[in-house]
Amino acid sequence: MNERNERIYGVACTFRRPSDVYHAAEKVRDAGWKYWDVHTPFPIHGLDQAMGLPRSPVPRLTLLGGVTGFITGCLLTWYMNSYDYPLIVGGKPYWSPIFPFPVLYECTILFAAFGTFFGQFIFNRLPRHHHPLFDLPQFARVSDDTFMVVLEARDPHFHVDDSRNFLQSLGGQEITVIRD
Amino acid sequence: MSASESSTSPAITAHWKKFLAVGVVALLATWYFACEGLQHHNHRGALSLLIGALFWISLLIGTLMLTMITRLFDAGWAPIIRRAWEFLLPGLPVVLLLGVVPLAFSTSFRHLLWEWTDASHILPSGHAVGHDPILQAKSWFLNEKFFLARITFYTVFFGLLTFGLRKWSFAQDSDRNASYTHRLHALSAAGVPLSALTLTMLAFDCLMALSYHWFSTMYGVWFFALSIRLALAGTVIMTYRLSEGSWLSGLFNQAHRHVLGCLMLAFTVFWAYISFSQYFLIYTANIPEETFWYNIREFDPVTGAKSAWWGVSMVLIFGFFFLPFLSLLFYRSKIVKERILTIACLIIVGGIFDLWFNAVPRQVVDPSAPEGFTVSPFLTPYLALDLVAIVGFGALVIALFLRGASQQKTIPVHDPRILESIHYHE
Repeated sequence: MNERNERIYGVACTFRRPSDVYHAAEKVRDAGWKYWDVHTPFPIHGLDQAMGLPRSPVPRLTLLGGVTGFITGCLLTWYMNSYDYPLIVGGKPYWSPIFPFPVLYECTILFAAFGTFFGQFIFNRLPRHHHPLFDLPQFARVSDDTFMVVLEARDPHFHVDDSRNFLQSLGGQEITVIRD
Repeated sequence: MSASESSTSPAITAHWKKFLAVGVVALLATWYFACEGLQHHNHRGALSLLIGALFWISLLIGTLMLTMITRLFDAGWAPIIRRAWEFLLPGLPVVLLLGVVPLAFSTSFRHLLWEWTDASHILPSGHAVGHDPILQAKSWFLNEKFFLARITFYTVFFGLLTFGLRKWSFAQDSDRNASYTHRLHALSAAGVPLSALTLTMLAFDCLMALSYHWFSTMYGVWFFALSIRLALAGTVIMTYRLSEGSWLSGLFNQAHRHVLGCLMLAFTVFWAYISFSQYFLIYTANIPEETFWYNIREFDPVTGAKSAWWGVSMVLIFGFFFLPFLSLLFYRSKIVKERILTIACLIIVGGIFDLWFNAVPRQVVDPSAPEGFTVSPFLTPYLALDLVAIVGFGALVIALFLRGASQQKTIPVHDPRILESIHYHE
């Protein structure tokens, strides 16, 4: 990386039609890019495959949270009702998986929700208060009638002039270098 | 599409007569053993017939509900699958007519299966049913005339509803008129709550009333949850077969499998929630009028040792809930054909266990036993007869399905949402 690139976030390129940005995404994917993104005003079916995106890793944290919650619920009810202060309630055993089941599954749901909520924060790298793309005047139109592909400078394939030409070859309209 | 319809549909629909033959033979065999049991005052053969009928009634009521719910919510994914559901539906009144109706209307079978209809039947307490204060208090509902009227109503109601849903849907194929979609909307809007009430009463009459002292307000919801689970599992198996060289091949895609998998997961949890809640409330309240029902399903009344029914309940907890639940959590279990097919088969087997658990255990009067009764055992040769009855009714349902498919369009080509359904995307 030369010094000029250090202050560059990436190169953005606008497209007029969903099919254009879809096919552009396929070509960027096939060129082996890792750090790049597509911005559209509405969801485009199949774009995740066109971009070669894997499935979100968030469900794994949801499962982890759920299992943790279930175990926590077991320990909680066992510790309180059977170990720390054994108490007979309604002639039921001190601990069995039946009477505290509402506690167990509520804990499962709560911790699974925590796993999902904080999981998406972690994987989306949130909270984040500013993004270099916000400085780009065209970016406002991405929520209206424009589609955008952004190639990021941290990708090993990135080189300002080459990336600019690459985007041009994909049929991009307006190509802008974004400074960080 | 028309080419594949004309070339592949006859291949599968031509077999309907074979299914009809299998169904008739299996049902004759079941009826034979049921009648033979009548002479020895043994109810178990008749119960096999009832279990076989209820398995398919449950699956078909689930199919009926799915047909109406997808109409009601304008489900974009549904039309290509819904036509297959519509071919299944005529089986519902037929199974009721060949299974439940004759058992209820024949006095001797009715007295054998539904003990409360036989005033002279002696209870484990030594009293006759006719003098049972519990029955007397419930007699405004549990009396033979009202019971038979209800059984008739279920058959007529489901017969008319399935007839209407099919007639207008098929009419759209030739008329190309979107107004049928609106009419079916209205019919489904009325049909969903009415069917919910009817299936609740049907579960009360055909299953809960087999043990008339016991009561659970959850029972109808449990039956609904079981029905939808069986219907979804049946749909997965059916669509798997139909997409291998039959009319759904090339149309039924990964997104359709995914949506069926998600529904299977949801209703697996719902079934567990309802079944557990029913147990949990009875366990917590600990009232003898309610707990006896679970007691005879857990241990021997004399020794207190765990009986085979306890094993059945463990199969339900681990095989019918945890295994399908944990495997359906994973995305790939919902989209890989063979995996979702395996889970669907597991749910079908689990559903049979659930029916056994609910229908079979009863207090059989035995004056020589210390408690005055013994509990019907789980492992008997009649389990095989249950399976024969399930195969028998199933073969009839499939025969009707294939015959319907040979007479009507297998894809509702003029459904307003047909393209949305074919191009359905996750």
